[in-house]
Amino acid sequence: MYVAAFIALGIATLLAFIPYPRVRAWLVGTCFVVVSGFVAAAGLMALLGHSWGSTAGPLALLEWLSFGLDPFRGFFLIVTAVVFATAIPLVVHDVMTYTRRRAGAFLTLIALLYAAMLAFFAATSVVSFVFAWEIAALAIWALVTFDYRLKGPVAAGYLTLALSEVGTLAGMAGLFLLAAWSGSLQLHVLGKMGASLSAAPLWAPFLLTFFGFGVKAGIIPVNAWLPEAHGSAPRSVSPILSGATLNLGVFALWIIDGPIATSHPRMALLVLVVGAATALTGIIYALTEHDLKRLLAQSSIENLGIVVAALGAGFAFVALGHPLLGGIALVAGLYHMVNHSVYKTALFLGAGAIDRATGTHDLDRLGGLMHRMPLLATVFLLAALAIAALPPFGGFVSEWLLLESLLRVVQVAAVPVRVTFALSGAMLALTAGLALTCFVMVAGTALLGPARSREAREAGRGVRSASWPMLVLVVLSFGLGVLATGFIPLLGGLVKPLAGADPSAILVPTFFGTGAGLPAGLVGALDTIGAGVGRGLLPLRGLVVLHSGGMATPVVFAMSMGLAALVIGLLLALVWVLVHFGTRRRKVVWRRAWNGGLRVLRPEMNYTATGFAAPVRVLFDTLLRPTVNERDSRQGAFTTGVVYRMQMVNVSNRIFLWPVRHAAEAIAHRLARLHHGTVTLYAAWILAVLLAALVAVKLSL
Amino acid sequence: MNRFEMLQKEADTLPGVGVEHDAQGRLLFTAVPQAVPELAVWLNERAFEFATLVVEETAPGFHLVHYFFYARESGERITIEAHVGPGVGLPTISDRVHAADWHERETEDLFGVCFTGHPFLGDFVLHDEDWPENIWPMRHDFDPRASHPRGRGLDEDWRPRRLLEEQGALEFPVGPIWGDYGESGLCLLETPGEQIRLAHMRLFYKYRGIEKIAEGEPPDKALLLAERFSGNAAFAHALAFCQAIESIAGVKISERSRRLRVVCAELERMRYHMTVIADLAGSTGLAVGKAMGQELEEELLRLTETTMGHRYLFGLAVPGGLARDLPDAAITRLRTEIPSLMPRIQRFGRWLKVSSSFLDRIEEMGVLSTDDAKLYGVVGPVGRAAGREADLRRGLPYAAYDQFPPDIMVEQEGDGYARLRVFLREIEQSARLILAALGHLPSETVRTDCMAVDGNALGWVEAPAGAAFHWLKLDGDGCITRWRAGTPGFRNWHAFHRTVEGAAFQDFPIILASFGLSVAENDR
Amino acid sequence: MANWVLHSLKRGIRTERYRESEPLPAGTTPGRPKPQRMDESAAAALAECCPTGALQVQSPGIRVDFGRCIHCQRCRGDEGLEWRQDATWATHLEGAQESLGGSFRRALHVRYLDAGACGGCMGEARLIDAPQYNLHRYGIFITSTPRDADLLLVAGPVTEALRRPLLDAYEAMPEPKRVVAMGVCAINGGVFGKSFASCGGAAEVVPVDIVIPGCPPPPRAIIEGLLLAVGRSRSAQAVEAP
Repeated sequence: MYVAAFIALGIATLLAFIPYPRVRAWLVGTCFVVVSGFVAAAGLMALLGHSWGSTAGPLALLEWLSFGLDPFRGFFLIVTAVVFATAIPLVVHDVMTYTRRRAGAFLTLIALLYAAMLAFFAATSVVSFVFAWEIAALAIWALVTFDYRLKGPVAAGYLTLALSEVGTLAGMAGLFLLAAWSGSLQLHVLGKMGASLSAAPLWAPFLLTFFGFGVKAGIIPVNAWLPEAHGSAPRSVSPILSGATLNLGVFALWIIDGPIATSHPRMALLVLVVGAATALTGIIYALTEHDLKRLLAQSSIENLGIVVAALGAGFAFVALGHPLLGGIALVAGLYHMVNHSVYKTALFLGAGAIDRATGTHDLDRLGGLMHRMPLLATVFLLAALAIAALPPFGGFVSEWLLLESLLRVVQVAAVPVRVTFALSGAMLALTAGLALTCFVMVAGTALLGPARSREAREAGRGVRSASWPMLVLVVLSFGLGVLATGFIPLLGGLVKPLAGADPSAILVPTFFGTGAGLPAGLVGALDTIGAGVGRGLLPLRGLVVLHSGGMATPVVFAMSMGLAALVIGLLLALVWVLVHFGTRRRKVVWRRAWNGGLRVLRPEMNYTATGFAAPVRVLFDTLLRPTVNERDSRQGAFTTGVVYRMQMVNVSNRIFLWPVRHAAEAIAHRLARLHHGTVTLYAAWILAVLLAALVAVKLSL
Repeated sequence: MNRFEMLQKEADTLPGVGVEHDAQGRLLFTAVPQAVPELAVWLNERAFEFATLVVEETAPGFHLVHYFFYARESGERITIEAHVGPGVGLPTISDRVHAADWHERETEDLFGVCFTGHPFLGDFVLHDEDWPENIWPMRHDFDPRASHPRGRGLDEDWRPRRLLEEQGALEFPVGPIWGDYGESGLCLLETPGEQIRLAHMRLFYKYRGIEKIAEGEPPDKALLLAERFSGNAAFAHALAFCQAIESIAGVKISERSRRLRVVCAELERMRYHMTVIADLAGSTGLAVGKAMGQELEEELLRLTETTMGHRYLFGLAVPGGLARDLPDAAITRLRTEIPSLMPRIQRFGRWLKVSSSFLDRIEEMGVLSTDDAKLYGVVGPVGRAAGREADLRRGLPYAAYDQFPPDIMVEQEGDGYARLRVFLREIEQSARLILAALGHLPSETVRTDCMAVDGNALGWVEAPAGAAFHWLKLDGDGCITRWRAGTPGFRNWHAFHRTVEGAAFQDFPIILASFGLSVAENDR
Repeated sequence: MANWVLHSLKRGIRTERYRESEPLPAGTTPGRPKPQRMDESAAAALAECCPTGALQVQSPGIRVDFGRCIHCQRCRGDEGLEWRQDATWATHLEGAQESLGGSFRRALHVRYLDAGACGGCMGEARLIDAPQYNLHRYGIFITSTPRDADLLLVAGPVTEALRRPLLDAYEAMPEPKRVVAMGVCAINGGVFGKSFASCGGAAEVVPVDIVIPGCPPPPRAIIEGLLLAVGRSRSAQAVEAP
């Protein structure tokens, strides 16, 4: 299956150069969907236990270039397949406007990225890992800069490439350090060694790999590239970049740093804090954005921050000897990653379709799209509900699990750990609140209200190549929410190798079934609130439970997304019934909205995204540190115009990118001076270097 | 040689300016249009304040424009007159004498006299949604009782003025219909959210055209309009109107009526200020304070009714004095009620001044700098709270204010709290003046015969909200040919935008309440 | 720190009880002219002095059209008319919709709309909330959006610029709804009449059910008008004969 996927990808590449756009679109699209089918099947097989390694499989090319699949890798393959399958219709639809050569190149690059990702998730040795990683990075860079005539994408592409390469170098250095110590290039051997070594020497490879490979996951402070790249990439690529490629970083974190951090609590806590800080800054910057794509990219940073924080919390719990709690946090992390992939792909597809219909993705210029493209706008709204982590969508489950598991830190005695968890938890809770604000803003300004510009007023219909896949994704997200009890045991199995315990038994007790495996007091407590209703009837497990305290006095945090969805559905139905039957007797009269007596509420009188987020901007002024440039034009005592420009530099740039750049420039400047010396000076330098080399060799011998 | 003569001599050297003394011994400068701006600036530099702008149509398309100036302390008055013919514009003075800005805009809208160089002409009194171009209602050929040229304006195509260029900036409309009891008028706030960068007041939704519909009417009919265009300062405006007529007729009114006019005017001021304070308390959410303020306000209204016969002093001022004398019982009542009310008002003021939640919202909020107050020619308590020592009762005394001069309450900060202090202290001052004026009332008639024909004059008062100027011109039958009501509301609304620019949204209603402005007084 | 709660508790209840049988507190109302019997010439002289035509000769005396009386008080005095100190002025117009009954009797939401009022009407309308009158005890509330309003309280002669906003506000109100015109200006334009700038009364734009004459009508008269709109007060006569 796995190999078949590659073959199909090759076919897709060939098909990409067919001269007839419509035929090409259908064929390539179908081909990609078939590829995704193969990938998903391969992933599913691996997930269900059909693991294989390169020694046994047909891919045993070389000993150090090995591949393999296990349930965990299969899981990533499935997620990738879902993202690609749903994102591809818009890609093939959108490239119909390209010239044949550009379209072919574009589709080839996408196929290359797909292939690289498949290879990466199956890489079991350091070499194959880095090799696939690099190909993926190059493919991403090429896709971002595909509109190479435009200044923005090219600059964004260079930034992406530069940061990605620096990250790769750092990560590679870390990997080779580990490899040198363990004497093997196999990733699982590298991981095992982390547990055996003491913390001090491990810090270097840990930091190098965490921040190096973390570039792809957009962790602070190495995320400056992400909003630039995802914001200026072609509109059809952004869903893939955000939905799929960010998971590369999560995978690397799990595979390489997971085993190390689960043995060293401080490293795990660092992961937690960095994740929480990433999430918070991500959402704050999302709120300052008025460009829909950049905003979504910032929100990706936020979501990946949540994932990283959850993994950090899980590593920490495991390292501190609480494998069950660690397992819960890890489940939350993986769950959130899936959720993010699903709804972010949907939202970026929506952004792409909006861009296609209006020609702009500036929120301050959109508005009223609900009327122009009802289906697309509705699914966009649902996806926004999902990303705002509202029930009954999946995001709610994973964030709830994470926050609840963070609260369980009371079981850890060490005060510094508790403080770290508490602060991170607070940051994540604030993030969740701000995310809600942010997506109320997005939905409100893009979909509702009047059109704020001619583009929005004359917007075309939403394209089906985006709206139908979005619908699929929204349904998926809904399923991830309602069927959480079915999904959690699956993830529980995935985290077991790393956490050392499978938390699914306590998280989702087989409640409606036997009730076995739970303290009797707990069962009693839950029964009194009616949790036992439907026992023996319903096929699924009913509740997600976190409990603590003794047998006699259990403290229970429980939720049932199935029941919640049921209640929400019933309430909505009730409202509908009330409205329908309550107003039937009365005549419904439609009148213009009351707008304070204005003749017409003009578009420029409506709240913009910038205006909506203004209170948040004011609140986080110290973090954002905007520079203000105000220019008034005057005629005597009259003010005839005011130009007000506010500029913000991302905090990642301030604390990382700019200092690094300044340092690099300073070094380059120093080095440049060497070029201006005399011949004798050069000779002296050469002599000095030679001497130094000789001394070094002598010493090492 | 006194100052006036020196001025005259100096002005004689200015190009394009003729200088003469008018009938009342005031200086009258006749200027060619091009010379007006320099002359206006020249006067401004010599501490002459712009008072009001009056335009008369002398013949179809020909206009005589009067610029009234007065010296704030000495009370000297100077008028500039300029003739403009059809199709000829006057150069604007408002880029330097900014107080004239709205006067010029109004003149352009109503008369079609263009002020060249003014950046914001049009869409002022007559809104472009409704009113077509090129119909000027104040011209004599326009029939005031003609119906409105409905349906000929821009309607939904009207665009609000936008001066702010900023990412995501919006133009937040407040009004024209406000919540609760706000007076109708549109305020457009240019903002990127939260902070108000620029504010544009678009008033005159309540324009009733009193100056036009009074034309051709006898003064006793027009007096009803003068009283009723701004009901909460009815007596002040009626008084200014009557004083203009008395000035034309050359009538000197009795001492008793002069003093009783002071009593009425100050009672009205007390009630007006009490309203402002109650509203200010209400705008900050201080419900108990608002209720107490309104209780005192109602008591003042009742005191006014029982002593003067009408809660808002309608029908009291007439040319030649007062319509009716105050009976002794009323005078006794005033003498006892005011001293018993004052401690309660003072106690209320003290409570307000120590309520930190209230002070937090008015201190350093809505600051009107002294420079801005001067630039915009802000009058009344608002101007006095911004360090302007301007009070017509002192500068150009009328009625019996020459005998009972008030102390001018000046504060320097120009913020909401300074305005509150000025309002409170002026109430005390008014109470003192009432009791003083009631002190030695001669018993004599309060109404002198007053028949005015053919002439023009300026009448002025220090209305509760500030200086008001009513300019009247009567024909041979004693009917009105031109009436111009220059009101303090018109002056102060002009400056209001300066105080909200830079403020946050939630401070806007509080700043508004602290100004105590009347839209009706502005819109006329 | 001023303790407002303590202050207000100390002051006790300031709201005045109101019974129709008892005279109103002094100064509550400016009163209005009382139709009188008198000989023809005296009546003609009085009618002549009335600037708005509110006083009309009707033998054997003078009758008063309260909808026109602007309280100029020119007819008041020794030789003039006696003024009556009452405040039950509101009149249900003929042919208008009946009073709002049922649940509106104890819960009426009022939208005050300034359609060019001079400030007098606004001042008095504000004071129906003052402690002496305490509007809320009648179950009447002021709301800021016509969407929530059952009753539109219009003041002012309706300027041309406010014609559309008034109409919009009326249309935005849910059924059933009533319109009360307060003050002579809102009844027929008052001193401003009908001109290029003024429509000459609310009835020119929206259907008016109840009028509250007066210039301005005092708070007590406004409350009577609002109570009349929910059928809790009696309607006064618009024109009274001698």
